[in-house]
Amino acid sequence: MPKHDLEEVNPEAAKEAILGYCLKKGALAAGVADLEAVERIAPPGHRPSDLMPRVKSVISLGVGGQTQGAWTIPAKALAYFGSTEVRAYTVAYGLAFMIEGRFGARSVYCPPDLDNEEGPRVPLQSLKLHAELAGIGARSLAGDILLHPEFGYLYFASVFTELELPPDEPLAENPCPAPSCVDMYKKIGQTPCMKFCPVQCLSGEIDADGKQVEMHYEMSKCAEVSEQYEALPRILGDAMAAQTSGQRDEILNDLDHSMFWYKMSVGSGGLLGQCFECMRVCPIATRAPLADPLVRGAAKRAEQGAP
Amino acid sequence: MTRGLTRQQAGVSEALVENFGELIFQFSHNHQVRRGDPVRLKDFSAVEEQRPALGLSDTEIAGRLGLSKDQVTAIRNIVERRKLRINTHLRLNDLGGGRRFRDERFTPHEERPAYTEDAMTLKETMTFDAEQVQRFIEQGWWDGTTLRSLLERNAAERPEGPAIIDAGGSFTYAELAAKVRRLAAGLHGLGIRPGDVVGVQLPNIADYLVAYFAITWHGGVMTTVYLPYREKETETLLGHSHARAFICPADINGYDAAATALALSKRLPALEHVIVRGDTVPGGVSFAELASSSPLESEASAPVGSDPFLLLYTSGTTANPKGVPQSYQTMLGNARLGAPEHGLTANDCLLSAAPFGHLFALYSVHLALSVGGSVALLPVFTPPDLMQAVETLKPTALFAAPAHIAACLGAGLFDRHDASSLKLAILSGSAVPPDLAQGFAQKLPSAKITQLWGMTETQAGLYTRPEDPIELAACSAGRPSPGTEARIADADGAELPQGNEGELQVRGSLMFPGYFKNEDANRNAFTADGWFRTGDLATVDADGNVAITGRTKDIINRGGVKYNPRDVEELLDRHPKVGQSAIVPVPDEVLGERACAFVTLAGADEVTLPELCEYLLGNKIAKLKLPERLEIVGEMPLTATRKIIKGRLQPKSAD
Repeated sequence: MPKHDLEEVNPEAAKEAILGYCLKKGALAAGVADLEAVERIAPPGHRPSDLMPRVKSVISLGVGGQTQGAWTIPAKALAYFGSTEVRAYTVAYGLAFMIEGRFGARSVYCPPDLDNEEGPRVPLQSLKLHAELAGIGARSLAGDILLHPEFGYLYFASVFTELELPPDEPLAENPCPAPSCVDMYKKIGQTPCMKFCPVQCLSGEIDADGKQVEMHYEMSKCAEVSEQYEALPRILGDAMAAQTSGQRDEILNDLDHSMFWYKMSVGSGGLLGQCFECMRVCPIATRAPLADPLVRGAAKRAEQGAP
Repeated sequence: MTRGLTRQQAGVSEALVENFGELIFQFSHNHQVRRGDPVRLKDFSAVEEQRPALGLSDTEIAGRLGLSKDQVTAIRNIVERRKLRINTHLRLNDLGGGRRFRDERFTPHEERPAYTEDAMTLKETMTFDAEQVQRFIEQGWWDGTTLRSLLERNAAERPEGPAIIDAGGSFTYAELAAKVRRLAAGLHGLGIRPGDVVGVQLPNIADYLVAYFAITWHGGVMTTVYLPYREKETETLLGHSHARAFICPADINGYDAAATALALSKRLPALEHVIVRGDTVPGGVSFAELASSSPLESEASAPVGSDPFLLLYTSGTTANPKGVPQSYQTMLGNARLGAPEHGLTANDCLLSAAPFGHLFALYSVHLALSVGGSVALLPVFTPPDLMQAVETLKPTALFAAPAHIAACLGAGLFDRHDASSLKLAILSGSAVPPDLAQGFAQKLPSAKITQLWGMTETQAGLYTRPEDPIELAACSAGRPSPGTEARIADADGAELPQGNEGELQVRGSLMFPGYFKNEDANRNAFTADGWFRTGDLATVDADGNVAITGRTKDIINRGGVKYNPRDVEELLDRHPKVGQSAIVPVPDEVLGERACAFVTLAGADEVTLPELCEYLLGNKIAKLKLPERLEIVGEMPLTATRKIIKGRLQPKSAD
């Protein structure tokens, strides 16, 4: 790593360069989270300083979600859309190198994985918390999935660095619920994400001003429809408890179950991570001003003077 | 176990799981509640206040509950695992691309009904030779067609085309499909599920067909109960088939059908519902109400081609019943392949004089459905009603037994009614006397008269084609239907050369798989190489036309001399004093068997045995074939197609 005097680095300029790098590499939004706030809110063991004791800044970036075409395809195909988040990780990974190379500050691409001491439902670090405090997303009624008022539904990645950067503020307004969702809520007591969730894991309350009052999310129900890794031990358990070899064979080689073996062996490797139905019907996720890649493309083409 | 620790190492007892399991489940991230927007607003006190509601880490939960972290992790894993429902992700298969989740459209695996044991027993009966199945599929003789798919196809392609025509009017395929969907929903509401058997005892009315299609709409199986059957026969058939429901009129000519069925339901554990058409009967389910049910939104459980959908009974209605299960592949394939052979098209209207309880009548329905034609209805056969129906409903094809035609010819009804709409008549159900066929042809000069041989087990196995001359159709059952093979075999199963009389044996894509729950019957039904022993005697000519000459069971064995009494019966039928005749063997201590002639009288004149013997001798009948006893009966026991049931003819005295 080149030696730099960090005190000579202009934080504002560095931040501009860092965020510019993120956008150039494909992020739609990027920001710096208030480290102190992150440290206060994250539980012990999951704070940035637990991972990187000398951390000074948490940078969060978001890449776009699905294309407009993807939102129109059947759920069974959409659910297997993979690698979208990997694009965010790739940008973050490059950013960590960029900061070290350009500013001489130790940086780490924040591991997006789970905490092996806490099991598969607890992340090592909350990328959501970083993004929310960095001002690139706000919690929605759809199980706290972050939404951006312009870019809609994003995938996030974080970088921790010893370079001190001026933090951004969270979004001043929460785009969720959208006006159309408020209208629907007033009529039927549910927003689209609540109504169309296949396992009815979402509920909540909106006040007279159209602001969120309460969000309820039953993760265990959601997990049943999406996080299929949890089904595997159950299937194996059922198979081991089978009374006859015929029953065991039925359980293990059931068409639905054999999909798991396929995914674990020669498949793309990813079991379902999300069913997407709440996002498919979310007007912010898919229809925010710049969430639509077609709109963004058209704007870009117009900018470049293309016909 | 958690992270390699056993429950014992972590100190996790079942009591601990019971005490803290639900609490840990709730405290963990499984149920998250957020009030307001505390993180975005950096409202740290609210964040702290809400932390438990947003989900605590195992370490935090451990601190709150006075457990170790390992215990919390272990208990959380145990509880989550116990609560987890698998295969819920399959809900996604029905979503997206414009479709939205609707709970009623998805049934979780654990809530999906399984076939009952009875239904599985019936399905187990549908065992065919695998090599033959492969051939049937390759040849296109078997496919995935079902009654439902045919009805849906016709409703889509010919929504305004007539489907059913009766004296009260007609309805179109679209209307029929709508009626069927409603009744199917009603049956589903009663709990009738795929593979369940539903009995039907109705005259040939539109509701019979609506019931037939509705029962099979979601994979049910229909068993037919012949309209003249009463309590004993009905109990035998519903009991043997394990029918879960029975559709009948409140009353059949004074016979209290519904009350009888309700009484049977007390004795037959499987019989849960008696569905009554007509007057309301206490304890019965109203057919009319069921038929006005709202169609099901989700009609996922559609039957498939290999499913059994009919369970017909051939005989033995009081003991040892012979149930014949048929799949869509065996049965609808026979009709689909047969329709062009009979020259039928979507413009044809088919009328059956035989009741729908009989295979021959159902064959006509299947033919009509196959080509998108229509079915004309004759509720119950009488000669005048048949001719009236022909004249007013104007069918183009008539399906009748020789006895039906004989009765109409005998009453001179063809001279008094306009039957010119008929372009085809198919005679079947019993042996066709050549004179009858010829006489019939003379009355219908513009129609083609054909003869068809079939059995419940085989359906339409042989028939003459419309282009065949009447001389052939009058004395032959014709050639095998597509997908069918026929041979004439001796008692040892060896194929006989042309012209020799032997047993007709049949095999092919039309063949039933075996009798339902009747191993005794199955043991003798098929040869080792898969030919079905029809029990009919026949000869075959050089062109492959098969002539039915009698029944193996009718053979008289008089002191070792065996003969077929068919020619004697044909002569007796022509005797001026005889209405109908049947020769049956009766036991004899010396000769083993002797021939007994049962006759009905044509009029008031009595007839004697010597008189008949003299008549037979005068017609060149050998002495050894003369009947040695005479029984005069008021009427013959008849099948649905008016074939004499010889098994029920017993001599009154031993002299």
